[in-house]
Amino acid sequence: MTEAKTVLIIDDDPDFVRAVGHLLQSAGYVVTTASNGREGLAQAKTVRPDLILLDVMMEDRTEGFFTLEQIRDVPALRTTPVIVISSIYSDHPVFRVSPESGWLPADLFLPKPIEPGRLIAESARLTASEYAGRLVMEKGSDVR
Amino acid sequence: MIDDDDVMLLSCRRILEKAGWEVETFSNGHDGIARLETVRPQLLLVDLKMPELDGFQVIERVRAIDPDIVIAVLTGYATIGSAVDAMKAGAYDFLPKPFTPDELRLLVNRGSERWHLVAESARLRREKEEAERRFITFVTHQLKSPVVAAKQYLDVLLFTASGELSPQALDWLSRSQTRLGEMLSLIEDWLTLSRVERGTFCDPGATTDLREMAERVVDAIRPQAESAKVTVRVHATGGVRARGDPNSVATIMSNLVSNAVKYNRPGGSVDVSVSSDDRTGVLEVADTGIGIAEECLPSLFHEFSRIRNEATADVPGTGLGLAICKRIVDELGGAIEVHSTKDEGTRFVVRIPIAEGARTERTPSEGPHSEVDIGHRTPDIGRQASQST
Repeated sequence: MTEAKTVLIIDDDPDFVRAVGHLLQSAGYVVTTASNGREGLAQAKTVRPDLILLDVMMEDRTEGFFTLEQIRDVPALRTTPVIVISSIYSDHPVFRVSPESGWLPADLFLPKPIEPGRLIAESARLTASEYAGRLVMEKGSDVR
Repeated sequence: MIDDDDVMLLSCRRILEKAGWEVETFSNGHDGIARLETVRPQLLLVDLKMPELDGFQVIERVRAIDPDIVIAVLTGYATIGSAVDAMKAGAYDFLPKPFTPDELRLLVNRGSERWHLVAESARLRREKEEAERRFITFVTHQLKSPVVAAKQYLDVLLFTASGELSPQALDWLSRSQTRLGEMLSLIEDWLTLSRVERGTFCDPGATTDLREMAERVVDAIRPQAESAKVTVRVHATGGVRARGDPNSVATIMSNLVSNAVKYNRPGGSVDVSVSSDDRTGVLEVADTGIGIAEECLPSLFHEFSRIRNEATADVPGTGLGLAICKRIVDELGGAIEVHSTKDEGTRFVVRIPIAEGARTERTPSEGPHSEVDIGHRTPDIGRQASQST
């Protein structure tokens, strides 16, 4: 038996957190939540989640971006997979921001509302032990 | 005040300074115009007949420097013809010499009133633009967020608990899910359209490879085409790098290809071709679909001009897709046309100028806003766009 993986959801919309939290729980994840960036960072430090879902457009428009930078500044969280979610992306399949672009240290971008099947599949992929992490693609990384 | 008659300059200066105005006088157009580099007067009084630069030339140059400066003409050669010409050139008022001090004061007061009106309307215009911008933000956050939250509940519920729901609950919830999805598409399209119109969507300085983008768009739409039993093919002889950022080009292509699939029939096909002639990239999207009646063609690119008939009744759409395409193509300095025969098919042809010495796509290093926040680019880019088209 492998231990259940933990997902931290950081989002200021309680309904979104509840719906997506339920989805991940039903897929066997342990879910922990935070409603703002500060709380999210604190949770991430103590819980050490296997995956983080982060909204980049919370109350303060830049809060999510800063939170992600702060998360990456914590050595223990540098390789934790992060899915950035937001309803601001146009859902153009051709224009999803690719994590390789490197400007934002996230592993994946998903538009809101999240397609349940897709989130389950991506969560499984990102938390699998085979997942090599975004840092493989990041130049100048001192972690690996 | 610009006049080659020094006595005139001196007496006008005295009258106006007594009335509380600050006056600077110049005996020729060159000196007066040079002064505009450092001061911006409300009012310019100018003589028509002067050696070197005449009044008309002064008016023209001052208008080019600052169209908000109110210009009044003083002239001893007053004819209806010269008055009309001065007005045509951009003068606001006209006073024949000789005139009384009262007439001069009246002229200057009128001109000053005019200046204040112009300044006031510019301020109102700025406020209106600011309100529009706030409104878009409002719509994005206040209108979209609740719909996103509600749809997210339904998506999760139907994904995790569909087995526990009664057939009727399942049916009704699925319908609600569809309707909320349609509303989100409408909000999305409407936001896109307003961003295109405000000049904050397109970047005509960037370039995109039409063939590469056509292939990506078609790949993304393939599942939808397969379930509609429509074959989609891309034809291209080589890469064509045209004007426009990838997002704008993708938006045009997705709308056209998605329409070609939606308004098609099982067994039908869609052919997407990319080619170029001389200085234009050409994109063609041709389908074997239901076609468009001739009377519907003129309003096809208007907002909310969905064609409603038996064949289109079940096709989802916001009625904004082609309006968005048209506006983006305009912003990129291109053209879009449509050819259609009812019951046989439709062919859209988009022409976009080929990039000449344009920079390549924005690179990731330009920061988050260039890629994620695709709707909030700097307005300057769009402004260049509307000027160059």
